[in-house]
Amino acid sequence: MAHQTPDHLKYTIEHEWALLEDDVLTLGITDFAQSSLGDIVFMELPDVDTKIGKGESFGVVESIKSVSDLYSPVTGTIIESNSDLVETPEQCNTAPYKSWLIKVKLADVSEIDTLLSVTDYHKHCEEA
Amino acid sequence: MTLKTLSLEQKHVDQGARMAAFAGFNMPLQYSSVKNEVLAVRNEVGVFDVSHMGEFFVEGKDAHAFIDHIITNDFRNAGDLKAVYSPLCRDDGTVIDDLIAYKLGDQKVLICVNAGNIDKDWNWISKQTEEFDIELTNRSESYSLLAIQGPKSEAILKKINILPKKEFPYYSILETKHNGKELILARTGYTGEDGFEVFCPEDYATTLWDLLMAEKVIPCGLASRDVLRIEAGYPLYGHEIHDGVTPLDSALKWTVKLDKEKFVGKTALSTYQRKLRLIKIILDKGIPREGYEIVLENDKVIGKVTSGTMSVVLGQGVALAHVNPELFSKETEIFVNIRNKKYRANFTSKAFVSGGHK
Repeated sequence: MAHQTPDHLKYTIEHEWALLEDDVLTLGITDFAQSSLGDIVFMELPDVDTKIGKGESFGVVESIKSVSDLYSPVTGTIIESNSDLVETPEQCNTAPYKSWLIKVKLADVSEIDTLLSVTDYHKHCEEA
Repeated sequence: MTLKTLSLEQKHVDQGARMAAFAGFNMPLQYSSVKNEVLAVRNEVGVFDVSHMGEFFVEGKDAHAFIDHIITNDFRNAGDLKAVYSPLCRDDGTVIDDLIAYKLGDQKVLICVNAGNIDKDWNWISKQTEEFDIELTNRSESYSLLAIQGPKSEAILKKINILPKKEFPYYSILETKHNGKELILARTGYTGEDGFEVFCPEDYATTLWDLLMAEKVIPCGLASRDVLRIEAGYPLYGHEIHDGVTPLDSALKWTVKLDKEKFVGKTALSTYQRKLRLIKIILDKGIPREGYEIVLENDKVIGKVTSGTMSVVLGQGVALAHVNPELFSKETEIFVNIRNKKYRANFTSKAFVSGGHK
C-alpha cells in the first residue's frame, strides 16, 4: 500500500514528519504511522514552555487497541501544542500532514541533520 | 515455535488482513479498521474466523452426567439442544478454562474451549473420565469455526439457506446439512449481539466464507472481537479469569451451582471467600488499559484493569477491573492511574453496550 510522503518534509525513524522554519521544528505523525495505528482516539500533548530532549517522549497517541509514545527527534522548548488534536485526534487519520502535534524551538539547529530524507524514510518503511 | 495456520489464511491475507500470532495460531487481527468492524457487528453483520477454538466431543451413556461433573454450571437440567456457558475448575476451585457445552443429543455433547487452553483442558478432562461410560475425542484440528454476528446475521443465514425454517432460539444448537456437508450450527457468540457460530469441516470453510463475502458480510478480526466482548462486559480467559482465580473472584457466581449434588471444585467453592471482585468501569476521559492501577483519592492502589479499551459505541474508555472487595463498594470513588495521572472511573453494574441478542 502506497503511503504519502511529501517531498518538502523531513522524517524520523519513529514515523514522524518534521518541517523546519527558521529555528522552529513542526512535528506530526506520518501517513504510514496513522495507517499502522488505525483509528486514533486519544492524544496527549505537552504544555507550552515544556523543555524536551532529543529521544525523549513528549506525548502519547492511542488507537482503539494500542498506546504509542511520541518521541522528539530534537532538543528544545515547546512553543505551541495543537490542542485541537486533543479534542479531535481522528484528524491524524484523515489528514496526517495537516495535523501538526507540536512546534519546538530548537536549542541546536544542527540536530536536524539527523532527520531522514524522503528517500531514506521510504527505505525505513520498507524495512518496517 | 511454528504457528498453526487457519484453512482460510490465504483468504484473510488476500482481503488485506493484518495477521498476528495468537494462542499459537496465525490469526487475522483486523481488516479495514477496528471501528468499522465493531460498527458492522453492532449495526449490520460481520464474520470472524475463530477456527483456532477447540472442539471436544463427549459421547456415550453418561455424556450428560460427565459434563455436569466437570463443569460448575448446571448441564443436566438444560433443555435438549441447548448451550450452557461454564467455567471448568480444578478441585481447589481455580479456573482451568471457560467453555460452552452444547447438548447435541442424549448421548452426545460438544464442548468448545479456548484455543490457548486446548492441551491443558484435554489433559485435565481426559483424567476425569474414570467413573463414566463415555468416549472423549478432540476434533479441534478437523473443525473450522465461523462466527456470524450482528442484527442482520439471521437474515443472511436464511438467505444462503443455512438456517432451518423452524424456530432456533438463542443459546441453542442443531446439526444440519448445507450442500450435503454436515454442519453444526449454534446461536451463540461473544459480541453481545444476536449471532451464530457455524462449526464446519475444514474443507467447507472456504465455500462458506465465499458465500458470506458475496452477501457483503464484513470480515472482522480479533481486535474488534475484543472490543465487542469488552463492551458487552464478557470475561476473557487469561485476563478476567485464569489459573489463579476462582469463578467467585470474577463475577461468575451465577455459573457456580452449589445445589448440584456433586461436581469438581464444589467442596472448595462452597466455603470460598472471594479475594477479588470484578467490576465494570467507564471513564469520563482517558483510556484504561490492561495492567493500569485502580486507585483511591489518596492514591492507595486497590486493584488493576484486566481488560480495557476505547468503546467504539460510547466513545469513552471502558474496562473490566479486579479490585480488593474489602476496599471497594459501589459508592467508592475510584480512579485509573494512567501515566501517573488519576482519571475518574465510574462504576456500572450493566453491560457498557446492551446488544440485541435474543
